[in-house]
Amino acid sequence: MRERTFAPSRLLIYLVVSLVAAAYLAPLVVVVLNSLRSNEEIAQASMIGWPQQWAWNNYARAWSGFCVAETCAGIRPYMLNSALVTIPATIISTLLGAIAGYAVSLWRFRGDNWIYGIVTLGLFLPQQMRLLPWTIVLRDVGLINTLTGLVLIHTIQGLSFTTLFCRNYYVAVPHELIRAARIDGAGFFRIFWRIILPLSGPILIVTVIWQFTHIWNEFLYGVTFTTGQQQPVTAALIALSAAIADIPQHGVQSAAVIIAALPTLLIYLLGGKYFVRGLTAGAVK
Amino acid sequence: MTDVVATAARPATPDWVRRLPEYLMIWVPLLLSAAHLVTFSLWTIWISFTPSTLVPVTGWVGLRNYSAVLVSRNWQIAFDNLLLFGSAFVLLSLMTGLLLAILLDQRIRGENVLRSIFLYPLAVSFVVTGTVWSWLLNPGIGIQKLVHDLGWTSFRFDWLVDRDMAIWTIVIAAIWQSSGFAMALFLAGLRSVDADIIKAAQIDGAGPIRIYRRVVLPTLWPITITVVVVQLQFAISAFDLVRALTNGGPGIATQLPALVVYDLMFQRSQLGRGAAAAVLMLLILLAVLLPYAAWRYVRQRRTTHA
Amino acid sequence: MPITTTRRRLLAGSAAALAFPAFARAQGAAKPRLTAISQWSAGSDGAAITALGKKFEEKGGVWQHSPVPGFTTEMMNKLRAQIIAGDPPACSQLKGPEIAAWSKIAPTVDLDSIVAAAGYEKVVAPDLAKLHKPGGKWIALPLQIYSTNMLFLSKRGMDKAKADKIPVTWADFNELADKMKSAGMNYPLANGGTRPDDGQKFEASFAGISPVAYRAAIMNLDKKALEGPEIKAAFAQTRKIADWCDPNVGAQPYATNLKRFIDGDMGMMIQGGWAQGVLRNAGFKFDDFIIAPGPSDNGKPVFLLNADAFIFWQRKEADLQAGQMLMAQLVMDPAIQTMYSQITGSIPVRTDVDLSGEGWSDGQRRTAAALKDAVANNQAVLSLAHNMAQQNGLTAAMIDVLTEYVKNKTIKPEQAVTRLADAVEGAR
Repeated sequence: MRERTFAPSRLLIYLVVSLVAAAYLAPLVVVVLNSLRSNEEIAQASMIGWPQQWAWNNYARAWSGFCVAETCAGIRPYMLNSALVTIPATIISTLLGAIAGYAVSLWRFRGDNWIYGIVTLGLFLPQQMRLLPWTIVLRDVGLINTLTGLVLIHTIQGLSFTTLFCRNYYVAVPHELIRAARIDGAGFFRIFWRIILPLSGPILIVTVIWQFTHIWNEFLYGVTFTTGQQQPVTAALIALSAAIADIPQHGVQSAAVIIAALPTLLIYLLGGKYFVRGLTAGAVK
Repeated sequence: MTDVVATAARPATPDWVRRLPEYLMIWVPLLLSAAHLVTFSLWTIWISFTPSTLVPVTGWVGLRNYSAVLVSRNWQIAFDNLLLFGSAFVLLSLMTGLLLAILLDQRIRGENVLRSIFLYPLAVSFVVTGTVWSWLLNPGIGIQKLVHDLGWTSFRFDWLVDRDMAIWTIVIAAIWQSSGFAMALFLAGLRSVDADIIKAAQIDGAGPIRIYRRVVLPTLWPITITVVVVQLQFAISAFDLVRALTNGGPGIATQLPALVVYDLMFQRSQLGRGAAAAVLMLLILLAVLLPYAAWRYVRQRRTTHA
Repeated sequence: MPITTTRRRLLAGSAAALAFPAFARAQGAAKPRLTAISQWSAGSDGAAITALGKKFEEKGGVWQHSPVPGFTTEMMNKLRAQIIAGDPPACSQLKGPEIAAWSKIAPTVDLDSIVAAAGYEKVVAPDLAKLHKPGGKWIALPLQIYSTNMLFLSKRGMDKAKADKIPVTWADFNELADKMKSAGMNYPLANGGTRPDDGQKFEASFAGISPVAYRAAIMNLDKKALEGPEIKAAFAQTRKIADWCDPNVGAQPYATNLKRFIDGDMGMMIQGGWAQGVLRNAGFKFDDFIIAPGPSDNGKPVFLLNADAFIFWQRKEADLQAGQMLMAQLVMDPAIQTMYSQITGSIPVRTDVDLSGEGWSDGQRRTAAALKDAVANNQAVLSLAHNMAQQNGLTAAMIDVLTEYVKNKTIKPEQAVTRLADAVEGAR
């Protein structure tokens, strides 16, 4: 089956794969092309077309030109805000999830199954439902309108995913390894640091990719719990999509979409290989 | 090891004090996470029995919020749509994911590039996916217009504005976005099939299709269940995508429960009813998750007893 | 943790609030600062609020505007979060009956004396004033007015149909649309397909057929009027309008069609004055289109009122109080209203602003004249589609029926009447 058999069937495979790949790429191609067409050109023809004149300045406007109310700084400051929330929240939730997953899978303590079960249920709790309770929590801890508040939300919510995947990954670690280390006198953290963490590459890549994209792309909390100058990049993108008081600016909007998606796209491109490998180990048990 | 010596030198320190840091690192995050889930759910359940409108208030209205939601046209349409969208999306993304995984498993050239192509939609936000597909699928400015401009003027692809077909545009966009995840999981499963079993089957003279059907696919069952649960979860909570693509339209033809919850809670300022709809949504989720949990439990017992 | 904000607790806050004299005193002491929340972030809306902020800064104030892009819902989420956190903005965008509803959940500023000092009450349409003083006291100030049923006519479209008369009644309108259609326009109407747009198609029909029935049915929810012959006729007219719109526009906003409208591929549009701001922003000329009052069967203009407003939330900080004072004065200032309306395409709230000068369009002059006429004839009614007639819950339930009717041609007018009445009953 996995040897090269006769040519026609392989030709068919390549044909099907290329067709599907083309379909998957089509939306990206359309957005990239639109990012290089002027708003007027798009309005006159259609959303799909080859640029008549290369409108490179769409990118300049998207990056540092267009206005969200009185702030005419393009998407740039919002990218920074998103990074300030996404990077710490991703790192903290991944690290805490790894420790929790390691504890639940390899140390076993009383009530671990219960708490683990509840935490994983968090994957399924719709986020619209959590908006008001979070408002109340943020008020009570005094973190409303701070980026720290958003980091807190994304860390706590992210634990559901990171704990689940890390735990599923670590169950496969042979218990003898841990037992031997404990006999040598190594404690909880030492074993984590010396034995578990070096093994964790693939699964950490999965959780980092997952957390990063989800937090980067989040909108609802991002606009509710920040004020003007701290809003995330998704808010700036929404401001660009046609409002009641504006004609569609599809060209600049496309350029902004591309810029805003670059960090997550890069992460997938660079980590895609490890993503599959990590999933092999993490999600299947 | 130095710290073994160190701890041995201080026998007076009780065990739990020595292990306090690790207890804190394990329990604080886990408890916070579990506590927020439990309190938030209980809070929503409680609100669903109050007459809350703009902000939460105390009071008791019994099941009135529930009956108001259940008889509303919006909820009924949303529920029907969820059944259709949920089953169509899960089934189709399962098939797409499996097909892509099998194709990529044929030791083809350019596997890295292809895998990236199938995975990249996962990196894009739902809002962007919805917006871009609303461009492509809008007959006035998208694919239909393109084909018309190319000369085939009788071509029709207007599902987005067709009440009966609009829900399928959401299926298309959702599959585009998330079938890469199914593919990755299936590929992971295919790669972990024991090569010796396949060798043995080949020696027995089985053809490739027969090997897939008899040997490889049966091992994918656990993964399939995982994929189904993850995708169903996605279907039930689909929100940003639908809002950007159809916003529930044309008319109210593509309402979905998550949209109804958000709409009631925040746009219509009927917090009590919105909470009731959210609780109904949780019940739907439980209806999916409980059988899954039971299945896992049974499977785990079987493996430990075997 | 205390997780409810009970009504009583919120009202208790208002008792502790400062009285007006302290408010006035504060102005001299501190540099005025204003925290404001609005959804105005893009296009002419964004430009107008930015210009207002500049004026505020010119007067020595610190302008801290927090735009919330997206739907109104997101703006209200933000406002709700700030109120629950006990940190409401000094002022925020809010309109119609929502002013009364929201004023119950957090203490607002009593603007009576400052409004009296400016003599503002005398120059605001009475129906409008009522919305901004629930409980008898001014707590919010309207900033600009639109009529949601203005008729936009494309000059090139009119030429194409060889028509030169502006339609007055629905019969005229229908005749013109037919003429345009036979002149080769597939879709004579350039309206979009969003929820408010579908609401507008209906309310323009209903109020144009009978403002009296509209007031009874939509504003006062009178059961008999909700099932009367006028509303059935309104649904029939709505169907005609829907059939003249391009179905392929789907849920896109009207702005998608503006180029086709100016080019004369689509001849007419029922829209508020905001479309003028957008057209101007897009570089189209005033000569390209005509704006006239929407069709009215009794020949006298019907005005479907839509007014944007700011509500003022109570704050203890002296600088914020001074900022509120300054902002209130600016909002009521005829020069500021002129500046604002000239950017967005609305008309001033003040009925005493002279629109004859440069910078105003004929369309705006006609809109202002229509308002005066309509008020005199008791034909100025509140818009349903733009959340002026009812609170959001009821509005949304009614728009559900309207948008479904517009998009589903198999629903008969009489069925729609029943459904609308049921929706009202269900949402109450």
